[in-house]
Amino acid sequence: MAGGLSPAAALPTEVRTRAARRRSPAVWLLLGPPSLVLTLLFMLPIGLVLVTSITDPRMSLAHYQRIFTVPLYTHVMLNTFVTSLVVTALCLVLGYPVAYVMARRSDWVSTLLLTIVAMSFWTGFLVRTYAWLVILGSKGPVTGAYQALGLGPAPQLLFTSFASTLGMTHILLPYMILALFAVMKKIEPDQLKAAASLGARPRAAFAAVFLPLSLPGVVNGSLLVFVSCLGFFVTPILLGTPRDMMISQLINQQIEELLAWGFASAVAVILLIATGLILVVYNRFAGLDRLWG
Amino acid sequence: MGLSLACLVALFLLLPIVIVVPMSFSTAISFEFPPPGYSLGYYAKFFTSEEWLEPTLNSLVIALGATALTMLLVVPAAFGYVRYRFRGKALVNLLMMAPLIVPHVVSALAYYGFLGRARLTGTHLGVIVAHGVLAVPVAFLVISATLKGFDRNLERAAMSSGAGPLRTFFHVTLPVLRPGMLVGALFAFLSSFNEAVVVIFIGGRGAATLPKKMYESIRLESDPVIAVVSTLLVSAVVLGVLVSAFLRPRGANAA
Repeated sequence: MAGGLSPAAALPTEVRTRAARRRSPAVWLLLGPPSLVLTLLFMLPIGLVLVTSITDPRMSLAHYQRIFTVPLYTHVMLNTFVTSLVVTALCLVLGYPVAYVMARRSDWVSTLLLTIVAMSFWTGFLVRTYAWLVILGSKGPVTGAYQALGLGPAPQLLFTSFASTLGMTHILLPYMILALFAVMKKIEPDQLKAAASLGARPRAAFAAVFLPLSLPGVVNGSLLVFVSCLGFFVTPILLGTPRDMMISQLINQQIEELLAWGFASAVAVILLIATGLILVVYNRFAGLDRLWG
Repeated sequence: MGLSLACLVALFLLLPIVIVVPMSFSTAISFEFPPPGYSLGYYAKFFTSEEWLEPTLNSLVIALGATALTMLLVVPAAFGYVRYRFRGKALVNLLMMAPLIVPHVVSALAYYGFLGRARLTGTHLGVIVAHGVLAVPVAFLVISATLKGFDRNLERAAMSSGAGPLRTFFHVTLPVLRPGMLVGALFAFLSSFNEAVVVIFIGGRGAATLPKKMYESIRLESDPVIAVVSTLLVSAVVLGVLVSAFLRPRGANAA
């Protein structure tokens, strides 16, 4: 196609916008029903959680007060925050070299790494959590190796925050790698060559050129992992311990064991607000579109 | 040094997925590794027990239903969103993205309350509605990106050659957009098929999917059949990734 001289490009902008405006009922025909469905079947249920949190069993802010004053619950909030930070840092440290190699090479190594990351990405959470249950279990390979080496009784690995952190890191690592890779593959190799031709050693060229250019990927990946971690459900419940609960475990416990709808809803609202605040800040500085794109 | 580090991390990603394969051929009655002996016993159990086959079927039916609902919502919305300028566009975008922004455990609690009131927990319809809505953002991203890349001169050419709007849509627009639509639908399907939070809350006994059954199986009984299910799921992923790697032009993003 001869792009530049197409007839549409020759049309004055005004004509095109007027045509769009004239057909404007179509836009509400197209967007109306889906928007209505999403409002009724998503925003409304979420709104009901908000309402439940301040009306069940009676109208008050008592649940919120409890969350922020009872040590058990402040511990859960703090633990969720710290665990999410640790998982994010681990994903970054482990993911950066992989994304770097994937982006800088264009041979079979890069393809192989990308294939492994994609495989991990598409394998369901339950399968991967189950695998860690086997690996860290009392009849698993780690305990087996411990005994074979005569190191005495193996430490309890499963049902600890160590297991839960490890499992979440493993599950969220592909997200980090793909976010980093998406930014890194756009860095022009010529820029590094330019640095080298000006006398920069590889390490200096990396620190002065590649690293700063990859920072948007670092921010995107970290945000994605941190936010996913805040509300992570399956893995902390199956691998972790109720003594070091995360927010989702608390919600589950309140609903499953105590049927405490009001309190569970209040915890959910706090999780929602925390997530929302982080995304609003990100949107201010980078624009949310870049995160999904 | 970077390379060896990358390979170590790749092993860390890969090994836990591979470990489920020998587990599935094990004779052990619990999660034991390495397995004390090998047999096909748990495969036989999986393919003959209602307890596992029913969630498998539920997963497929629900994922198909959810995909249909997602596409029904997303295709017109993406057309309206990409092709028109209107007031409140940012708001519409936020609405379409909302199910991705809200943590799944919050959505799960919300649907548990909402669908409970409508007496739809534990039904296929209930899970299809929830999964169909939750898959909207990912499908919307894929399909609106495809639409943005569509050259509207193709439509103008068809119209000026005398084709009506419908004829143009079905003979020009749709065939060009089909690959993007299929990818959007596939993502919606996988989003439902792999979803493991909302369904745990709302699936009940009537509409338990594979992830819900696996979750309960781990929590309550340590049933080794889960290794068979995992192996089958991993095989499907390997097949899918390899096929897409061969179908894709070299150098493109695999995920």
